[in-house]
Amino acid sequence: MGRVKFYCDEGRCIDCGGCVVACKEAHEVPVGVNRRRVVTINEGIEGREVSLSVACMHCADAPCQQVCPTDCFYIRADGIVLHDKEKCIGCGYCLYACPFGAPQFPQNGAFGTKGKMDKCTFCAGGPEETHSEAEFHAYGQNRIAEGKVPMCAAMCSTKALLAGDSDEVSSIFLTRVASKGKGTPKAPYGWDKAYGK
Amino acid sequence: MTNHLGDMQNSEAIIIFGANPAANHPIAMQHILAAKEKKNATIIVIDPRYSRTAAKSDIYCRIRTGTDIAFMYGMIRLIRDNKWYDKKFLNDRVYGIEEIFKECEQYTPEVVEDITGCPKEILIQATAAYAKAKPGCLIWNQGWTQHTIGSSNTRMGPIIQLLLGNMGVEGGGTNILRGHDNVQGGTDMGCLADTLPGYYGLAEGSWKYFSERWKLDYDWVKSRFKSKEMMEAKGFSLSLWLHGVLDEANAKNNAGTPLKALVCIGNGISTITMTHKVKEALDKLDMVVFIDPYVNDAAVITTRNDNLFLLPAASQIETSGTTVNTGRSAQWRFKVVDPLYEARPDHEILFDFAKRMGFYEQYTRALGDGKGNFQWPEDATREIARTLKTIGLQGWLPERIKAQTENWHMFDTVSLAGYGPMKNQYYGLPWPCWTEDHSGSPVLYNINKPVSQGGMGFRNRFGLEHNGSSLLAGAGSAPKGSSVKGGYPEITGDNIESLGIKLTDKERELVKGKNWKNDNSGILNKKAIAAGLVPYGNARARTIVWNFIDPVPKHREPLHSIRTDLIKKYPASADNPNHFRTAVRYLSEQTAQDWAKDFPVNIVSGRLVEHMGTGTETRASKYLSELAGEMYGEIHPELGAKLGIRDGEMMWVHGTAGGKIKIKAKYGYSVLPDQVFLPQNFSGMWQGEHLGDRYPEGTAPHSYGENSNQVTSYGYDQQTSCPETKCSLVRIEKA
Repeated sequence: MGRVKFYCDEGRCIDCGGCVVACKEAHEVPVGVNRRRVVTINEGIEGREVSLSVACMHCADAPCQQVCPTDCFYIRADGIVLHDKEKCIGCGYCLYACPFGAPQFPQNGAFGTKGKMDKCTFCAGGPEETHSEAEFHAYGQNRIAEGKVPMCAAMCSTKALLAGDSDEVSSIFLTRVASKGKGTPKAPYGWDKAYGK
Repeated sequence: MTNHLGDMQNSEAIIIFGANPAANHPIAMQHILAAKEKKNATIIVIDPRYSRTAAKSDIYCRIRTGTDIAFMYGMIRLIRDNKWYDKKFLNDRVYGIEEIFKECEQYTPEVVEDITGCPKEILIQATAAYAKAKPGCLIWNQGWTQHTIGSSNTRMGPIIQLLLGNMGVEGGGTNILRGHDNVQGGTDMGCLADTLPGYYGLAEGSWKYFSERWKLDYDWVKSRFKSKEMMEAKGFSLSLWLHGVLDEANAKNNAGTPLKALVCIGNGISTITMTHKVKEALDKLDMVVFIDPYVNDAAVITTRNDNLFLLPAASQIETSGTTVNTGRSAQWRFKVVDPLYEARPDHEILFDFAKRMGFYEQYTRALGDGKGNFQWPEDATREIARTLKTIGLQGWLPERIKAQTENWHMFDTVSLAGYGPMKNQYYGLPWPCWTEDHSGSPVLYNINKPVSQGGMGFRNRFGLEHNGSSLLAGAGSAPKGSSVKGGYPEITGDNIESLGIKLTDKERELVKGKNWKNDNSGILNKKAIAAGLVPYGNARARTIVWNFIDPVPKHREPLHSIRTDLIKKYPASADNPNHFRTAVRYLSEQTAQDWAKDFPVNIVSGRLVEHMGTGTETRASKYLSELAGEMYGEIHPELGAKLGIRDGEMMWVHGTAGGKIKIKAKYGYSVLPDQVFLPQNFSGMWQGEHLGDRYPEGTAPHSYGENSNQVTSYGYDQQTSCPETKCSLVRIEKA
């Protein structure tokens, strides 16, 4: 088994924002906190506009974990980087360290006072008891425990965003690359066996 | 849509005019991108604005708004001169291409470049790439229809496809992406001002047919109208009704009275042009009723304080029934929850209206046992199947549609073909679905399949001949397995036996004087299909429409054109004294003043991916409001510098019809320096004023913005009366 990874194919991402809204609806994330965002660069410039969906990349050697003064981060065996909001002091150090701008902080307070950090959980909840109310309240749904892929990838309209075991993600992408220009199959492979002719 | 969404994966080239599926149809975009990946399909986008869809294109052609016809004639001229057309297809299946070839003569690449602003090299590159790739599919959207000459745009697309032999083939066709959920179904059900359901029109014969189907006496139906003449006259259309209120002179087209009341069911009437005139009309009416799940923003725009009713309707998940997608496929929508709070499903509200107005018994007589015992909505679906033969809905029985929806995983999304227990049918039974066991027809006009499996030629709709030429298809162009090898007229009780089909005496008696559109016995359809014949005949597609203002489609400059110098050569059509009961100005509006002098900026209008229509529903979502919560106008930094407006500053935008909006300037490069992009999804701000306090408690949306249609110009399609939301001129000032 590999580690979990996200992959966003910029050839397919159309900046529809479906992943962002799916994430927010699923976890009831407050307005202003974006665990995932779609970034479009060179907007409107012919031939140079590119869109990409970005969230926590669940790094193997996660810089956030290394700099955290309260050691609130932990990395699961499957590679999902999570943190314990009980330990988090909201200092924002992880935001300095993160190369992707993934850590999010609540926007309440006059000077943007930092509350506890929030970020993408790969839909794997947190340290609280799985599927407990406490887990949902602090971290959102735990779809991984149900054997489902993260909500963002599940809802992606063009299937630009892939999520899961990195072996699986890369094999899906490799298949796409290998089938490039090879034509659309006349009928789905194996269905005549599955359902009968 | 002649083909369907999944079928675009079979295309070698996809040409997209006036559509932005990446923002407006993200799921459709999936199939376009799949064609690009799997088939190396060339994606060509023609749009005044560099949209998200353009960002995924291989060839982008930036044209001035409202010049698509000139661009396409440029394409046709190149196709003709390079002989890229499909000669056999033109010979056997098309009528009138010579006149199109004659019209295209004037559109040299240089002329096209002058009119459209698109460099001729790009026109040539796009045309060559598209013409050489077979099959190619052509997509359009509201960027084509919402013009004074929208009805010519929508004829030019099919003409190009006919020319290239791209009609009736998988991966080809004209794929019109419908604006939102179930628009196709709404249109099929007659949500139009000029026809009964199923495009039967309003002629006496159609009313008689429907009266019989509704189990009503024709004279009783007639007695509900002021006169037989009004019964058969086109009504006010969605875009023109306000003129029936405001302009008393139109009363003569409306049996002598102006419009007095409006019942608006689930329609964002502020998305049509000149919202400030819509407001005036709403204020003037005797009574206004809105039936919506959310508060219709037009109810907030009007300042009337009496006789305004808001009836809360159930949303789509609180009710059930068929829904029809852009590819003519039906799906059953099952109810998820009972209506919340005091909301009620539309049909209950309408039944209550009928009861109080005293015609409930007649209204429901054709349902169930005819004595008031019926099953909703199944019996309504059965009534539709029993009645709408023109588009072949005979096969749309509730049981079949439900079974398909429950087994959707057994259908291939590319071909729509079913497997296992669902074999021999296509998903959603795309119409025409001629009989109760027909497969449905995923690709219209496909003669490579037998009729029983969705094959067909073009419909025999416009007579047997015109100017001495036969309008029937040529030899060797009948659907596979047809007993008649060439063309044949639409099937009637009188001609069916001359086409080699034998009837028994009893059958002959039943179909006597009937045709495929009104034969309730079903014999004509069954017999025709058994012989491999299409009930509607096998004819040629016509490229010229002799009963239209422009028999051959013509480029005409917009009523409010930024190229004043071209108006003389390409003038608008003559004013129309009775267009959907309204006197509509064309040439007189175009020449009323030098519009471009006072209003030098072109509007490019469109939607944001986050919002639907007026945003009534989507602006009620806090997350969508977070992503797109503010109205803006995108201008090129060069225009901003010229006007002294910085990025993020407020500006006033003034329209040619007297409306104005105060919005934020957003610098961007997707538009040219003489354009402003205005999203059409906002409302709740009115010429600088916030209308939030007018919403009933607890119903206010999360975001507000100026409604862009306050500044769109006067103008309606010369055939359909579709509003001109696309070609409008404005003047921008720093606020």
